[in-house]
Amino acid sequence: MTNPTSPTDWKGQVMQKRIAGRYAAERRFKLFGLIAVLLSGAFLAFLLITMVGNGARGFTYTHVSVPIDFKAMPLNIDKDRLDDADADQVIANSGLSDLVTFAAEEALGPDAAKLISENAWKEVRTAIKDDPELLNGRHVFELPASSAVDIAAKNGTKSDVSALAAQLKQDGKLSTGIHWPFFRNADATDPAVAGIWGALKGSILTILIAFAIAFPTGVLAALYLEEFAPKNRLTDWIEVSINNLAAVPSIIFGLLALAVFINWFGFCQASALVGGMTLALMTMPVIVIAARNAIKAVPPSIRDAALGIGASPVQVVFHHVLPLALPGILTGTIIGMARALGETAPLLLIGMRAFIGDVPSGLCSPSTVLPMQIFLWSDEVDRGFVEKTSAAIIVLLFVLLSMNAIAIYLRNKFEKRW
Amino acid sequence: MTFNAAALLLLVAGLALIGWLAGRARSVLLAHRAGNKLHSRPQYHGWYVALWLFAPAILFLTIWSAVSPALVTNTVLDSPAAQNLPQFGFERAAILADARAVAQGKQDIVRLEKSAPLVRPYVQATRQYALIGISAMFALALAGGLYAFTRIRPEFRARSRVEKIVMVALILASLVAILTTFGIVLSLLFESIRFFKLVSPSELLFGTQWNPQSGAPVKDTFGGIPLFWGTVLIGAIIAMIVAIPIGMMTAVYLTQYAKPVVRKWVKPLLEILAGVPTVVYGYFAALTVAPMLREFAVMIGISNASTESALAAGIVMGVMIIPFVSSMADDSINAVPQSMRDGSLALGATPNETIRQVLIPAALPGVMGGILLAVSRAIGETMIVVMAAGLSANLTANPFSSVTTVTAQIVKLLTGDQEFDSAKTLAAFALGLVLFTVTLLLNIVALRIVKKYREAYD
Amino acid sequence: MTDMTSSELYIADPKMTAQNVNVFYGEKQAIKNVSIDVSTDLVTAFIGPSGCGKSTFLRTLNRMNDTVAGARVEGKIMLEGEDIYAPSMDVVQLRARVGMVFQKPNPFPKSIYDNVAYGPRIHGLAPSKADMDVVVEKALTRAGLWDEVKDRLGESGTALSGGQQQRLCIARAIAVDPEVILMDEPCSALDPIATAKIEELIHDLRGKFAIVIVTHNMQQAARVSQRTAFFHLGTLVEYGKTTDIFTNPKQERTKDYITGRYG
Ligand SMILES: Nc1ncnc2c1ncn2[C@@H]1O[C@H](COP(=O)(O)OP(=O)(O)OP(=O)(O)O)[C@@H](O)[C@H]1O
Ligand SMILES: [Mg+2]
Repeated sequence: MTNPTSPTDWKGQVMQKRIAGRYAAERRFKLFGLIAVLLSGAFLAFLLITMVGNGARGFTYTHVSVPIDFKAMPLNIDKDRLDDADADQVIANSGLSDLVTFAAEEALGPDAAKLISENAWKEVRTAIKDDPELLNGRHVFELPASSAVDIAAKNGTKSDVSALAAQLKQDGKLSTGIHWPFFRNADATDPAVAGIWGALKGSILTILIAFAIAFPTGVLAALYLEEFAPKNRLTDWIEVSINNLAAVPSIIFGLLALAVFINWFGFCQASALVGGMTLALMTMPVIVIAARNAIKAVPPSIRDAALGIGASPVQVVFHHVLPLALPGILTGTIIGMARALGETAPLLLIGMRAFIGDVPSGLCSPSTVLPMQIFLWSDEVDRGFVEKTSAAIIVLLFVLLSMNAIAIYLRNKFEKRW
Repeated sequence: MTFNAAALLLLVAGLALIGWLAGRARSVLLAHRAGNKLHSRPQYHGWYVALWLFAPAILFLTIWSAVSPALVTNTVLDSPAAQNLPQFGFERAAILADARAVAQGKQDIVRLEKSAPLVRPYVQATRQYALIGISAMFALALAGGLYAFTRIRPEFRARSRVEKIVMVALILASLVAILTTFGIVLSLLFESIRFFKLVSPSELLFGTQWNPQSGAPVKDTFGGIPLFWGTVLIGAIIAMIVAIPIGMMTAVYLTQYAKPVVRKWVKPLLEILAGVPTVVYGYFAALTVAPMLREFAVMIGISNASTESALAAGIVMGVMIIPFVSSMADDSINAVPQSMRDGSLALGATPNETIRQVLIPAALPGVMGGILLAVSRAIGETMIVVMAAGLSANLTANPFSSVTTVTAQIVKLLTGDQEFDSAKTLAAFALGLVLFTVTLLLNIVALRIVKKYREAYD
Repeated sequence: MTDMTSSELYIADPKMTAQNVNVFYGEKQAIKNVSIDVSTDLVTAFIGPSGCGKSTFLRTLNRMNDTVAGARVEGKIMLEGEDIYAPSMDVVQLRARVGMVFQKPNPFPKSIYDNVAYGPRIHGLAPSKADMDVVVEKALTRAGLWDEVKDRLGESGTALSGGQQQRLCIARAIAVDPEVILMDEPCSALDPIATAKIEELIHDLRGKFAIVIVTHNMQQAARVSQRTAFFHLGTLVEYGKTTDIFTNPKQERTKDYITGRYG
């Protein structure tokens, strides 16, 4: 091919070889694309499998059968007070904890303290509150094992208690089942009684606050910008603000909240209220952007028709445009809320990383949120928390995926009705 | 007595309802008596009264609940019982908080001895200010309601008044965005200026020693370069090395090669990847990826590999960014007119040649904008680096060693027990200011590029 | 159907022949049993009302329909005796040999030089820079654009005027030295002066390439072509010498169309 003016010899050997090379490049390129997609998929699968593999065991716990004979060793409890508000206190003061330890040593030998959880007696307490008749006789309790035994029993890992655990298993004294305290307790230092309900409730309260602030504000702002805003400096500023806020790192919102809400206004630190307000500021731009797109998608003919029959612009917007745009707005809002629900960084700065052993009772009481609980547990040294962390992750992912699924369902159901 | 905001809110709402009914009734009555037609329908008169009753009262309540705690505290501090409080610091704050908690009934007994005498002044002050606040609020509500009520006439344009108020609400809602932006800028600037009084800006921006644990603002404690380098290494280098090729190739495959069925399945998969919370990525990086990489490093003979590594954080962050890069690239490639693609294919180019030599160059501005946005996102990411990158400020290019980032240090500086005004906490705000400025610039440039690019093909 | 036996119409050495071609988009048939010959010495014009399948048929000639999901072609199309839909035919080569110019000028966002050099480069037609310079200059000269752009070859192709862009696209197609050039309404986006230039260009290129042009403009078909094919509803209604079609159409439908009764 030295003479560029001669007709091309497409059938020639040089050209055939070149074409073969080009097709090979084509196949390679396509393969790279496929590999890229597969890599993303593989990573997601790897992540999910790791979490589910670790986390599934976090929902269960090992219990040890220990008989306690209350007749032989009666407790000094006034049964009339078991329905009172301070029943917990009454039972705790009766020496139940020592009794349980003693019974465990009777049944399991001198190492019993290592085998059952130090909080095991609290389970007995709950049982007694439910059924005071237990105090009159002998009963076999399924007490939560210590974290080490739990791990040894479930995973078969070697540790200083694994021999003991194996022995108990052989004796049929161990049983593993769903761990209900995980779903009804707040954080604790002992995996046997640590639960996610405190964090989950904190998340729910926080998200409700965030929604209550961000949704109306976001929708009203979007309506203004799309339907009424004149073209002027102020509107430009609002637009620029919203677009930039949507891309500001979340931790900056934490700094803002710390400086303004906590240090300036003195709102309740580490509370769902402040957490929700912080997340509201963060999600509002997202909602505004989604809402504007939804409002834009409402055809102008609907506005013209309503205006034509004498409705005022405000009426048109609230009676006609908003209802039509609502599914789209809700989709965007749910996605924004899901993102807020998974957010940790800004909440770290407003004190929500403290250890909180109680389920939050109100908007102002100290609380934590689910992602924060994951973060806190991930730092725990006790091996038992590795499973708990993954289990909490599964719960969080489940909630988030459900929210996203609802959003996608809404989007598909209401997409382009007109 | 503390005043319960929810109960008050309900009470005012109830009053507003009464105002609504009254306004409505009065307009009907007046119209009937005068025998002429109402300009606006009765419910607008009702709304007019209700809004005048509700809005000023609630506005006042909000402002009052924001300022009254400070007023209460001031009154308590002026009381004789407060004269022998410790002057500064954590203990003083703790005593005040303790007394406040008891006074508000959140706690049954005082936990600290010194707070006991403060409880009474607290209760008194709280009651006093609550009384003032509630009276003022009701006075406002009634005044507003009455004012509106007396203005009702048959010819009164209630509808346009109500709509005006609605417009004000719309504008106020829009202003929240500006307010937030100002809030961010002002609070960062304000605290940073206080920091820069202690440590010079050039020390923060160009110093190479980061060692804030010593606390004192002496030389070589607040040099930001190791953090900036760590941020760049993880967010702008390692994460992008992972995210750009995979994200781009995913977008290319999905837009150019994949069958619709494949697209239908892969898109949600990417959405899931984008929806995984960062704390989960962080946990995964710290617990699974980092140990694997460490083993690998040891295997290839890098002995000083640490369990917390820039590489683990960077790789996982890159994966987190993949969906973002891929959707930006997807949009940019789709924005290239079909006629470009046809033109190239009609010349006998293979799809691969068309993509690489025509589509991607044509989409490049859009893709570049997307990548800038991705970088801005990566350097602002916090949880992954907090959990997996470590906190030691090493100025190293070895990806297997532990480095720290701006965001990780902000978290480190602000968690733990220290007073708010120390150089350490102020440093966090200065770092925040740097982070905010850089991400803002990246975003502005990126959005401008993307916009220009969109216009070129519209 | 068409009267093809007339000896004047006979093309001794057709570059391309289509025999009984049917094209489907999914269920829908867009081309019904079309047969036609294309010669290097004659310019062929396709006319017909909008949606009758002119573009579709044109695109089957270089297999651009392959890029449309759901498009299917039946029948035989030969390029120099080779079936272009045979498995042994390579699309990449086919499209290099049968070039195409589109309705809207679509220069790549590259320099003028790179636009023209794009085809030769991917096909490896000019190994050295010097060769490439020759190829580019020749293509631009043939497209009548050389004098206008020779001093600004480095500028972006998208910075040219619409008419210049279209000639650049023609130069780009010529640069790979095709045997056939398909033009789908190449002047519909251009003003009359630019259109005149393109028509002149088509005149000059006749004899070197087999040219097929789709046009909505009767005068244009009359001016540039020697053969005209009239399509209607996917069928080839009439095919003949351009002068015959315009002065003495055999079919009623053709007559109605060219006298502007519908379309
Ligand atoms: N990609 C496609 N998918 C489905 N149907 C198509 C497609 N492209 C064209 N068609 C249909 O095939 C028929 C012929 O279209 P074609 O574009 O070939 O017409 P045309 O003669 O070129 O019209 P015009 O003069 O308007 O360019 C039309 O009915 C059109 O709707
Ligand atoms: Mg056409």
